[in-house]
Amino acid sequence: MSTATMTSAPAARSGSVRSATGPLGGLVASTRAELLRLRKWPAVWVLATVWLLLNLTFAYLFNYIAYATGSSGFSNEGVPPDALLPDLLPAAIPSVLTGGMPMFGGAIMFILGALAAGSGFGWGTWKTVLTQRPRRLPAFGGTLAAVGVAVVGVVAATLVLDVATSTLIAVVEGQSIVWPALGPLAESAAGALLIFGMWAAAGVLVGVLTRSPALAVGLGLVWSLVVENLLRGVGNLLSGIEYVTDVLPGTAAGSLAGALGAGGAGDPDGAPGVLTVLDGGPAALLVAAYLVVFAAVAALLMRHRDVV
Amino acid sequence: MMNYAADDGPPAITIRGLRVARGAQTVLDDFDLDVRRGSLTGLLGPSGSGKSTLMRAIVGVQRTAGGTVEVLGRPAGDRELRDRVGYVTQAPSVYADLTARQNLRYYARVLGAPISDVDRAIEQVDLESHADHLVGRMSGGQRSRVSLATALLGEPEVLVLDEPTVGLDPVLRVQLWELFHRLAADGVTLLVSSHVMDEAERCERLVLLRDGALLADDTLPALLARTGAADAEGAFLELIEKADSEVSS
Repeated sequence: MSTATMTSAPAARSGSVRSATGPLGGLVASTRAELLRLRKWPAVWVLATVWLLLNLTFAYLFNYIAYATGSSGFSNEGVPPDALLPDLLPAAIPSVLTGGMPMFGGAIMFILGALAAGSGFGWGTWKTVLTQRPRRLPAFGGTLAAVGVAVVGVVAATLVLDVATSTLIAVVEGQSIVWPALGPLAESAAGALLIFGMWAAAGVLVGVLTRSPALAVGLGLVWSLVVENLLRGVGNLLSGIEYVTDVLPGTAAGSLAGALGAGGAGDPDGAPGVLTVLDGGPAALLVAAYLVVFAAVAALLMRHRDVV
Repeated sequence: MMNYAADDGPPAITIRGLRVARGAQTVLDDFDLDVRRGSLTGLLGPSGSGKSTLMRAIVGVQRTAGGTVEVLGRPAGDRELRDRVGYVTQAPSVYADLTARQNLRYYARVLGAPISDVDRAIEQVDLESHADHLVGRMSGGQRSRVSLATALLGEPEVLVLDEPTVGLDPVLRVQLWELFHRLAADGVTLLVSSHVMDEAERCERLVLLRDGALLADDTLPALLARTGAADAEGAFLELIEKADSEVSS
């Protein structure tokens, strides 16, 4: 290091910090900062890519191979190959969009939320951020908002991928392209946002609770992929347990996907995690309630806990 | 940088009767301190003496059990102080999977500082050649400098730096202390902690801590004259001995 380069006070510094902008300004500043962080963060792109590849593979690729070769695989066992084609065309997008979201997609969004909130504890950056201008709630609100934007982006990318893939299949198979009605498509997209939003908010909450991204990710995966399924299995054997398992986050998300036409456990081409336990309306309300509660509890914890 | 009023006027930091407890253990007890505006004050003491706790109380992120801490005339942690006080934690608090420049752009957005501050802060800590390297691949000293650069964004009037020179090579340490002196000359109040006694010579004023108690608050020449020691470490040991003998008698 040359001493000459270590300047202390360039003239351009004067008046550099903007005037106080209140909680809304703090929220906007934090959201912009968090969006920058998530955009530049390789982990976010890896998670989004993994989800899109999973969606492409399980919603379209395997089923299309089975249809084209006349064979059957684990994901379409018992379904005549010809019956697979309608689900691969653009008209079926509203029912296909949410198929992988309650379980595998939800787990990936959980990881996204857990990393977004928990990494600030892991790297010690929350300590510094919370001594900067935005107050705690606007500062944390920026993280929630940025995660929300990421969820919207992932759902939009999923929709674009589904449209592109199904259109390609229709063209290759010489099928006429019939676009889905706007209403069902909007309902499905809204359901996708709720499911992914809920799991991402759950990840944020567990990231804040544990103050550790690694522990949060581990706990979240065990819960969403193992514990809920075990509890539902026990619920099938013991009466009374189902009153609890019927309102678990995974059950609500799976029921919402099922109500949107993704197919339930009894449906041979249904995806894991898709359920028919609750009707669409109650399932959507429950998922939305979980989303709000997870985000609110995480914000309250950030507001009141000592920053270590 | 704005030239803040230096030594005249009220202190930049005023602490009265501060008490911090962690469980059953009292970390700081009935602690008083004044830090003059535009000064470079060294906060020295062995590990566990309460330096980091005191600094956290000054930036307002430490739960306290009593007393008052005022910074620039406002209660520590007050909203009005958030863009006037820069804080660097003992462990670098930057994202390892972002580059140095991305980290600084992140903090500039949080602070509302202009993007031009990013290049200026990178230059101040001499990281231009590593600005676009991932922090996770940097050495400990480079990470510390990225963390320090975050505190230089905006126009902090008070800089609270918790062991900013740990892990740095001697040349870099000297140059960072020169930077601290220039910042102080511009009117910034710096409180810099260290457990390395030879860094005492670089401070205008020394605050010596031991077991959460204030052992001394004076200039190095005055401390040497008072204790008859040859250096800061000798003075510190002399003061400890004196304090222990007063307790035992």
